Amino acid sequence: MAARLAGSLLPLLLLLAATFPAGALRFDLLSGHTKCISDDIKVGAMAVGKYHIVAPDDGGSLHSSSSSQQQHQLPDSHRISLRVTSPYGNSLHYSENVQSGNFAFTATEAGDYLACFWAPDHRPPATIAFELDWRSGVSAKDWGTVAKKGQVDMMELELKKLEDTIGSIHEEIFYLRGREEEMQDLNRRTNSRMAWLGFLSLAICLSVAGLQLWHLKNFFERKKLL
Amino acid sequence: MATRRPAAALLVIVALAAVLAAARMADALSVTVTDTECIHEFVPYEGDTVSGNFVVVDHDIFWSSDHPGIDLEVTSPGGNTVHTLKGKSGDKFEFKAPRGGMYKFCFHNPYGAPETVSFYIHVGHIPNEHNLAKDEHLDPINVKIAELKEALESVTAEQKYLKAREARHRHTNESTRKRVMFYTMAEYLAFMAASALQVVYIRRLFSKNVAYNRV
Repeated sequence: MAARLAGSLLPLLLLLAATFPAGALRFDLLSGHTKCISDDIKVGAMAVGKYHIVAPDDGGSLHSSSSSQQQHQLPDSHRISLRVTSPYGNSLHYSENVQSGNFAFTATEAGDYLACFWAPDHRPPATIAFELDWRSGVSAKDWGTVAKKGQVDMMELELKKLEDTIGSIHEEIFYLRGREEEMQDLNRRTNSRMAWLGFLSLAICLSVAGLQLWHLKNFFERKKLL
Repeated sequence: MATRRPAAALLVIVALAAVLAAARMADALSVTVTDTECIHEFVPYEGDTVSGNFVVVDHDIFWSSDHPGIDLEVTSPGGNTVHTLKGKSGDKFEFKAPRGGMYKFCFHNPYGAPETVSFYIHVGHIPNEHNLAKDEHLDPINVKIAELKEALESVTAEQKYLKAREARHRHTNESTRKRVMFYTMAEYLAFMAASALQVVYIRRLFSKNVAYNRV
């Protein structure tokens, strides 16, 4: 039974290994330039990121049979540096002149987390293509360990994933509702402030006119013209 | 489960793995577009539905009223343009991939000011009934689970779109509030300055050292 399970898991693992890393986006980076990618993460959410340099051809290089050869053909000088910063400016991850790497953190501040890549200057200027797989929240959970830990059925795992997704959708709706309420509040305050300022403008207008008249009347009386 | 033949169990697991691997979860990322920014995404199968959205989150516009918009162009691996959007400040898009391969999503900013674009791209694949017919051990429930997963992904995509639009709306509101305060204060100051100038001018008209003053 254990051998059969192992035998049936092996092609699954092979299939998973052969598929493209899920959710990875490929960016082009000109040498000497910086590219920053940001993500809005909530407090307490986990975020994991993986990045690696790929050959800048337009095919799915990881899928071609000669992918390993292409990997060797990547010039060693093609290296990128990365710094991940929190919304308040703390540096969470820093790696310099690497070809691949990963980072993980749990968000302690809510806001935009910035991942900035830069490449050192090359003569002649080269374009370095790199792939970044950055997930946060629900998609950051490691389903592989969950499956191994509980000896779960594949279908059950899929349904667990769906359950988690629904939970995150629920939380997101609450968050959006709260934000909408804040915005309505802000709009109402701006509206009342504009009304106030309108009245104040009228009051200033009348008082300045009154002051003018009073001052000029005094001036003319002093000059014995009135 | 123990009574099932190993080959059948194998096929079921392979099919489930295909379902698992095909619908991938991505995240909404933001990138600053100064001139052109291209993002590449791999679409494994022909006929996959590629859906996504993007929203331009304004960069501190103070003097102008609204954002002019950016262009999006989606290019297939063969080089043809699959989808184009021009001058939009946020939109959803969806298309069926004509072939598998690496697709390029290029944002182009025709104006000089750099803008932050928050985008989300999702590639969905549903194993269709054609595969079902080929192998009767393939459980139709896998197709249903894949469809359910796709539906949830579309809800998540919509939420990310709404969140990005809400952020943009908030920026606009903040900018409006600041402009209201600034222009009102400027109006008051201009008013008082004009009035003071008026008084000074009239006083000068009636002052002693003016030639035509009869008094």
